[in-house]
Amino acid sequence: MNGLSRRDLLKISAATGLGSMGLPGVDPALAQQGEQLLVVMWGAAWIEVSRKIVDAYVAKTGDKVAWELHAGGAMAIVAKVKPAWPRVNYNLISGWDPVFRAMIKEDWIEPVTLDEMPALKDIPPVFFQKNDKGQLMSVPLSTAGAFWGYRTDLVDKPIESIEQLLEPRFKGKLCVPFPVNLTGLLMLTLAMQRGGNERNIEPGWQFLKELAERGQIGRVINNNSEFINAMSSGETSVAFFNIGAWTQVRKQFPVKIMSKIKDNKGFLFNEGFAVIKQSDPKKVAAAKRLANHFATPEINEQYNWPLGEGPTNPKSKANPDIADVFYKPDELAQYAYIADFEFMASQVDSWAKRWEQEIAPLIRRS
Amino acid sequence: MTRMPPSVGTVVDWAAGVMFRILFAASVLFLVIPIVVSVVLSFDDRQFLGPFPPTQFSLRWYRSFLDNPAYLEGLIVSLKLAVLSTLISTAAGASAAYVLSAGRWPGRDVVEMLFLSPKFVPTVVIGFSILGFASAIQVFDPFTRLIMGHVVITIPFTVRATLASLIGIKRSLMEAAISLGAPPWRAFLDVTLPLARTGIVAGGLMAFVLSFDEVAVSLFLSDPFTQTLPIVLVAEMRANLNLTVAAVSTVFAAVTVLIVFFLDRVVGLDRVIGQGLYRG
Amino acid sequence: MIVSGLEATVQQPRLSAFQWALLAPGAVLLVVLLVAPIALMAVVSFRPFIAGRVGSGAGWTVRNYTELIEPAYAFYFYDTLRIGFIVSAIALLLATPLAWQAARTKRRAMRVSILGLLIGLLFMSLVARLYAIQMTWGSNGPLAFFGTLIGIPARSAGYAAIQVAIGLLHFVVPMAAIILIGTFQNINPKLEEAAASLGAPRWRVALTITLPLAVPGLLSAFMISFAMCISNFVVPLILGRGIVLFTTNLMYVRFSDVANFPSGAAIGIIMFALAGFVVYALAGFVRWLAPAEARP
Repeated sequence: MNGLSRRDLLKISAATGLGSMGLPGVDPALAQQGEQLLVVMWGAAWIEVSRKIVDAYVAKTGDKVAWELHAGGAMAIVAKVKPAWPRVNYNLISGWDPVFRAMIKEDWIEPVTLDEMPALKDIPPVFFQKNDKGQLMSVPLSTAGAFWGYRTDLVDKPIESIEQLLEPRFKGKLCVPFPVNLTGLLMLTLAMQRGGNERNIEPGWQFLKELAERGQIGRVINNNSEFINAMSSGETSVAFFNIGAWTQVRKQFPVKIMSKIKDNKGFLFNEGFAVIKQSDPKKVAAAKRLANHFATPEINEQYNWPLGEGPTNPKSKANPDIADVFYKPDELAQYAYIADFEFMASQVDSWAKRWEQEIAPLIRRS
Repeated sequence: MTRMPPSVGTVVDWAAGVMFRILFAASVLFLVIPIVVSVVLSFDDRQFLGPFPPTQFSLRWYRSFLDNPAYLEGLIVSLKLAVLSTLISTAAGASAAYVLSAGRWPGRDVVEMLFLSPKFVPTVVIGFSILGFASAIQVFDPFTRLIMGHVVITIPFTVRATLASLIGIKRSLMEAAISLGAPPWRAFLDVTLPLARTGIVAGGLMAFVLSFDEVAVSLFLSDPFTQTLPIVLVAEMRANLNLTVAAVSTVFAAVTVLIVFFLDRVVGLDRVIGQGLYRG
Repeated sequence: MIVSGLEATVQQPRLSAFQWALLAPGAVLLVVLLVAPIALMAVVSFRPFIAGRVGSGAGWTVRNYTELIEPAYAFYFYDTLRIGFIVSAIALLLATPLAWQAARTKRRAMRVSILGLLIGLLFMSLVARLYAIQMTWGSNGPLAFFGTLIGIPARSAGYAAIQVAIGLLHFVVPMAAIILIGTFQNINPKLEEAAASLGAPRWRVALTITLPLAVPGLLSAFMISFAMCISNFVVPLILGRGIVLFTTNLMYVRFSDVANFPSGAAIGIIMFALAGFVVYALAGFVRWLAPAEARP
């Protein structure tokens, strides 16, 4: 399982805080500072809850925060930073595992330490992305996942296996992410359905071609808000996407998330912050303070609750609504999968091109 | 064709008249309906883009529009950018048009092509190439980059509009001034410039509107602290699609109505478009 | 479009110093801001891309171009041109009555309202208009039934192309109408009156007198609409549902989502060449059809 043992998975499950009671967190002493920070965040529920958290934080510390929103997948920010580096003024960039890997490769991330950021002591080491020297390079805030799911009010009988998506009743009803999004997890889930894996992705393409040829794919989305709108408008009824976006749809409509299906698996990963290298040490320190604030038990809980994601701080409580989605320790081996994102990230460019060459024209013509 | 006295005309005439009216109505409706719908939706109370028409109304989307400082900041950037790039491209474009209109000289066609070519280079290509070029020459200030891009895309419009107005100016006037002893630059300032004013102003107006509404070039060249209004709109909507956009559209429509009203009062819409040879 | 606005009246061997001084700023700006960046982009398009990393590597390759020879890419170019062509044709159909009415009506209120609408649309942000169109024609919009009428339900994937076409139409109809107002205003109404007074039915006058005189204007309105459609970027981005992609969108994906700059540059160079070709071919075609009035 790509270097992650069953024990690691158990730790993840323990740390999502599901089933555990959790303790109320205590804010660390916040120094009176006044630095101007630029933080990149996702739109929709993410920015809403972050604004709330930060408004209180700003009032207390005097640090100021400007927000920028991810316009596509989080990976797009990497492309934006590249031509301007080192003249970028981002201080924290929210991202997830593959994005952190790409940024570590480019050497843009400031390592974090437990001494500077005491809240990280609670967080299980397996959640962190590390560099070659073993330094901690990310600030994990959420355990999230990507799953298949559907609107039960729009689908006449339950879906048992994603093989059923080839049935005529799903014509034009499928909403899928562009393969660059989620670093190609769509390709992986389709490949695994047909016995493949990251390095044997071909079966996934065959499955995808069948879906495209039959006109099943009604919408290709690039980010959370496009997903939320496509699923809320009823334009499409079945989709594969991340749990945070699913949670937003679940607030309005009945949704079944297929995280436990017999012949496929759900994907788990971590989201969080990367502290970006800056010449001004005061800004770096302020960025670390803010990231630390998000990792404290109380705030971590407040942050993840509306997102429907698992808090990484074991002292935080998880939203009970997602209990049915995530896994109990004994279910992990059977249903959960942790992808080799580093390898996948090296493939997305060719996957994007293959999509353009083979899949997109099929969808257009069907 | 506009008025169809029932006494005149064959069945074909009658049918053509009806067709004309239907087409006319269809195109007016086509252009207007989306704006009306977004005005209505901007008062919708629902959280998501639900079916039309809304059942409950509120001002929440206007509040969310006003609460987000990004729009106002974007507006300021857009105005500054449009004014500056219009000034630069009008100055450079109008003076070049003057030389281009001065008869034939070797290499004139190449130069003219150079000046008009940005019009047919896709704006994504211009944005992408300037981004790479700017970082190669170590220009990282986003506003400078935006000016670079916007000057390029607006120049052909100022050149063309000025050229068009110079057609009407007789060379002989200019030559007369010179033969009376005026140096060429005086003749240019005193004779040509005032006569070409309409064209220069029209070109500048085009440049301003174009720059203000530009998306593709700005998408490549802006950065989070310096975003134009259209970029803020696209970014906010892609990240966060909700009915704030309807409120924004409504505000845009209202401002547009005001602009058009004043344009008509101050300049006269007829003069903006031109009366042509046989009207009036 | 490219053709000069002026006939040469005087053959002038060389420019005076003053004329050079007037020409220089604009020429320098364009060389630095257009020619040099595109030249640099051409260089980058021959650089290799290293998977999993951002930007371009060292060395030289033609791979970025050979990849694009795939027949699938021809499909994107074809799709872009096809939608552009259809939209431009419909745009003429919708713009003509507006322009005719504005040019010929005796009622000032009618003329001013049409001019106000057209100019207003030019002023109103295209992005705001596109989202208005999405809310109106999108799957929950009040006009979504239109799709069902023509056999492409608004919730089907095929409707994405319709939505893109609607967005493009909203963009080009006002421009085309403004061009056509100029055309119609410069056709002498006396000609039609004369023909009508000789007893010719109006439809015959329209076909035999007005139309031939309007051809150059119609053609140039078509040409400009077409050029604006195929190089458009925002409309498919906002209304294409990820299904309708123009070549401009492919290029943006290279830049923003996979950070493959060399491949993006290669697409850019191809688009640059293609746009140049299309515009010149069309301008040549118009000149061939209507030599006297090739100038839009």
